[in-house]
Amino acid sequence: MVRDFLTLAAWSILHRKVRSWLTVIGVFIGITAVVALISVALGLERTIDNEVSKVFGVDTFMLVPRGTFSAGRTSQRAAQYALDLDGLRKADGVVAAAAVRQRTAFVQGQAGPDGRLAQGFLPVMGLSPELTTSFASFIGTLELEPGGRPFRLGDRRVAMLGSEVAARLRVEVGQTIVVAGDGDKPELTLEVIGILATPSAGTPRRGAASGVTPSGDTIYIPYETMGLLWAQTDDVLVTLVRTTPGRNVDEVADRVQAALRAQGSNVSAVTYSDISGAIRTVTTTVSAFLAGIAGISLLVGGVGVMNTMYTSVLERTKEIGIMKAVGAKNSHILSIFLIESGLMGLVGGVVGTVLGLGISFVASAILGRIFEVRVAVVASPALIVATLAGAFALGAIAGLWPAWRAARLPVVDALRYE
Amino acid sequence: MSLLRVQGIAKTYQLGKIAVRALRGLDLAIARGEIVALMGPSGSGKSTLMHILGALDTPTSGVAMFDGQSLAQLSENGLATLRGRKVGFVFQTFNLVPNLSAQKNVELPMIFLGLPRRKRAARASELLTKVGLADRIHHKPNELSGGECQRVAIARALANDPEIILADEPTGNLDTETGAAVLDLLKRLSAEDGKTVVIVTHDPEAARIANRVVRMRDGRVVEESARG
Repeated sequence: MVRDFLTLAAWSILHRKVRSWLTVIGVFIGITAVVALISVALGLERTIDNEVSKVFGVDTFMLVPRGTFSAGRTSQRAAQYALDLDGLRKADGVVAAAAVRQRTAFVQGQAGPDGRLAQGFLPVMGLSPELTTSFASFIGTLELEPGGRPFRLGDRRVAMLGSEVAARLRVEVGQTIVVAGDGDKPELTLEVIGILATPSAGTPRRGAASGVTPSGDTIYIPYETMGLLWAQTDDVLVTLVRTTPGRNVDEVADRVQAALRAQGSNVSAVTYSDISGAIRTVTTTVSAFLAGIAGISLLVGGVGVMNTMYTSVLERTKEIGIMKAVGAKNSHILSIFLIESGLMGLVGGVVGTVLGLGISFVASAILGRIFEVRVAVVASPALIVATLAGAFALGAIAGLWPAWRAARLPVVDALRYE
Repeated sequence: MSLLRVQGIAKTYQLGKIAVRALRGLDLAIARGEIVALMGPSGSGKSTLMHILGALDTPTSGVAMFDGQSLAQLSENGLATLRGRKVGFVFQTFNLVPNLSAQKNVELPMIFLGLPRRKRAARASELLTKVGLADRIHHKPNELSGGECQRVAIARALANDPEIILADEPTGNLDTETGAAVLDLLKRLSAEDGKTVVIVTHDPEAARIANRVVRMRDGRVVEESARG
């Protein structure tokens, strides 16, 4: 019998083609918006998650100055902290640790044509060798200009220069610079072993997630060399710690953080789950907001269905009377009208899902181009099924009141209706 | 025993603040196989009586019995089933569903009784053939003449093989010749299948095929005359 009601409802919809289509348009605009937004939002979330885990690794945590990382907010203040890196390396559950120190130092380069030495106060960054081995994804491969080489283990009196600094100090690979440290430490003469290539526009900025990006105006030296220049290790920007496989990262991070704070290091441990949680907080809020807006258009679509069904009931009052006169029960009339409005919702749902997914593919491609990452499109069967069921339900719910009115019409009055 | 019997029925409509007394205490019995013509001027209560006989409406007071069953005791669903199973209606304005073909219109009462599709289709084409519309099965009402529409309506009334056919001014919208053909069809159905037929009519021609003419005025039966 349901099949017959379906046929009756379909005939009735087809009989009122223009109005039915206008109603369906109202529904599918809403569905399109919802599907597109949800799948783009899910896709972005997954993409961000992928990117974060690629850069950071789920077994790694980061030590940052206390207060610079909190859920959904990263402070712009570049604070530094003290650290005993060797002590950290020996901590339980830690397999590798790498840190970045930064100071401003007086640096001398080569003499210019006028015989004057190029010199100035410049940022000097000390990089643990593990950064380019264990934590390569964190800082990315340092692209060097031809003729240069990266740091090797055991390197001490060497430096890599940003291209701007190299130009300013008038040095090339193979030449030397002189860096002044603490008053009671000697100056060091360092050999320039590489000059960072200027990143060409359009190449993905790896390491951007951590806030440490190869910069053209910085001098990079081995972490140990920093120790030869400055006695105090209170200038650490960031430390990366890899945990022993199988250990609970959050547990190790908490313990390390407590131990370091006890030593006077004002640090916070940030794990992968902290970062992805913070990102998720933002994306979830944005998605919920957008879904709310899309929901409003869906609501408008639902009101459209209700309006159409209400008009349809009025128009077909006599038809309802006829059906009741030939034996239709109230429940039959209710079913026919509910199926009819549900069908309009469903057709709107099908069209809307197809369009919505199409839009999300295009949007992902555009977003991917803007942010230079592959943005995943989430077109899960669950989402599609839920959308279609939801669209049918939307139509049926919108048709509930008109259908109930239709079913309740007294048969004699309905038959007399002209 | 009579198929239909009403005793002392009254029906009062409330039209705004005015109470309209359509039926004012009326007794009538209709036997199986009879053709009864209900005649009388407009507003005499003929249609109201027919609605009550066909379980489309309930009386304000009095007893209406269908085949020994009091209609007052039936639920709304029970009344719907009774209409579907035992009553066939024919209306002055045909009352076909405009977007359904002749065949689907005839199938409609069978759909609500839950008959299987194949059985319905066969029965519908059999009935349409019987009323002389074998070549019109797939036409929609707007592609049929008035006489053809009324014959579709009669086929629909016969769909569930009802006990009684209630026809409200069946010739009212038809020319004399077509009207006569429709009346002949009703007479033939009564003679061949033993159907009870009640015709509400102004048309003296309709009275011609009746076994009995019941005249009404002001909600009461004023005259009953048996014919040939």
